[in-house]
Amino acid sequence: MKKNFAKLNYYEILDITPDAAFFEIRHAYNAAIQMYRADSLVSYSFFSLEERQEILNLLEKAYLTLINGKERKNYDKELIQLGIIDNVGGKAGSKRSAGIYDASRQWGKAAVLKDSKATLKEKVAQNKHINEILSKQEISGADLKTIRNELGVAIEKIAGETKIRMDYLISIEEDKVKRLPAAAFLKGFIKSYLKCLCIEPLDDVCVRYMDCLARIGKNN
Amino acid sequence: MVHIWPIGGGKGGSGKSFLASSLGRVLAGLGKKTLLIDLDLGAANLHTLVDVPYPVKCLSDFIHKKIPLLENTVLETPVPNLYLISGAHDSLDIANLPYEQKVKTLKAISKLNYEWILLDLGAGTSFNILDFFLISQNSIFITTPEPTSIENVYRLIRSIYFRRIRQYFNAADFKTLEEEVVQEFGEGSFNKPDCIMQAVKRAHPEKSLQLENDFNSFRFKLVLNQLRSKDNIALGAQICKIIEKHLGFQVDFAGNIAFDDRVHDAVCQRVSFLDRYPYTRTAYDLRELSKRIVNSTSEQLLIRYS
Repeated sequence: MKKNFAKLNYYEILDITPDAAFFEIRHAYNAAIQMYRADSLVSYSFFSLEERQEILNLLEKAYLTLINGKERKNYDKELIQLGIIDNVGGKAGSKRSAGIYDASRQWGKAAVLKDSKATLKEKVAQNKHINEILSKQEISGADLKTIRNELGVAIEKIAGETKIRMDYLISIEEDKVKRLPAAAFLKGFIKSYLKCLCIEPLDDVCVRYMDCLARIGKNN
Repeated sequence: MVHIWPIGGGKGGSGKSFLASSLGRVLAGLGKKTLLIDLDLGAANLHTLVDVPYPVKCLSDFIHKKIPLLENTVLETPVPNLYLISGAHDSLDIANLPYEQKVKTLKAISKLNYEWILLDLGAGTSFNILDFFLISQNSIFITTPEPTSIENVYRLIRSIYFRRIRQYFNAADFKTLEEEVVQEFGEGSFNKPDCIMQAVKRAHPEKSLQLENDFNSFRFKLVLNQLRSKDNIALGAQICKIIEKHLGFQVDFAGNIAFDDRVHDAVCQRVSFLDRYPYTRTAYDLRELSKRIVNSTSEQLLIRYS
């Protein structure tokens, strides 16, 4: 059984190490508030009204102490005297600079998701292989598959985003002409597929794909 | 070696049976001999989810001694490697399983010869449910990202620990313990396992040591089910953190399962969701979850009914 929450030191309350930089403290405080505030789903029903208020007060006190350089030094001294943290760690912490370009800083997941289209575009522009394919006169389903693999996008993801049936997607990529839907539908499918991979210009690539398909059809 | 995994979550409708049937199918697909036991006593419907609409035998036959061995109540399902002990025709009073019969069932379950045994437990925190949880060091808690469901899962976890502490004492000792706790920590503190543990530590040091051993060996897992796209994906990890920080119990977050309307369709059509919609996010989540559960090992049963 662990220590009572009220008996934890400020660093433990915020789940940070004694050498945490200021932005880490701020980050930890925000994360903790998300968990403990009254309308939070995480701690719903977990605490009584008084317990929650007590925790929130404690969090605020911890934050205000640690975020203030002078008070933090005093608090660290207290902890060192009590033998809770060792001197070296404490001193290193107070001296460590809190650069905003800290390499160990991790970005939130949301930021990555928001930019996924932009990164895809960048990848398309930079990838030599893809550009080679896109400059061809005719683009086959196999080419589309190569592009998709180069970009590292799963076929399931395309199926999910475009709502195109999996068997159609597979037939397109494997150039199984007989299994493809009518041209009117197919054009729409190809465009959604390309849009999903951020490949431009949509219409042009689509026309070249249809040309390629027409040739394969004739040869058969 | 047998792995027993009780699956429960406090609240009804959070997907316990669906998870049990899906996990069972995946495990069976991996070639592991898997047994599902429907222990949602009085509200059994696991047989419907694994496509055994007319079970011929059920758990009640064992409890009422119609079938002497639990082994013989096992039914085959259409899925290879997947077996079922159904609760479809359980007697109507099965929900109030008497103590002796429960102990008999627990002992019989622990002796079954299968690689994986998944127990589909019911909602609520009655003694029967808690005791089935404590049959194994592993268990899976399932909750949805709704306050009602989260509330119940917290309650369930506390109840399990409470029940475990209770099992170490006889009625009289527990009564005195109760009085001590209330005296020291005030009214209402008896509902907090951490307060009780402090009292146990003082009055019965050797029992407290054993209990702590037990608690440390628990491998509880939390699954967040029906996560819609707007929901907070970090919720599960935060719930585990708060449990660890304030109750001192280790609960590992095992993963999210995305919400999908088509689960409803699959259940209505009585087909396997995983087979019918294999390329959905939900199916992917279920497969990933199974992998994580297969890879987590820890054993030895905990039963203390001698």
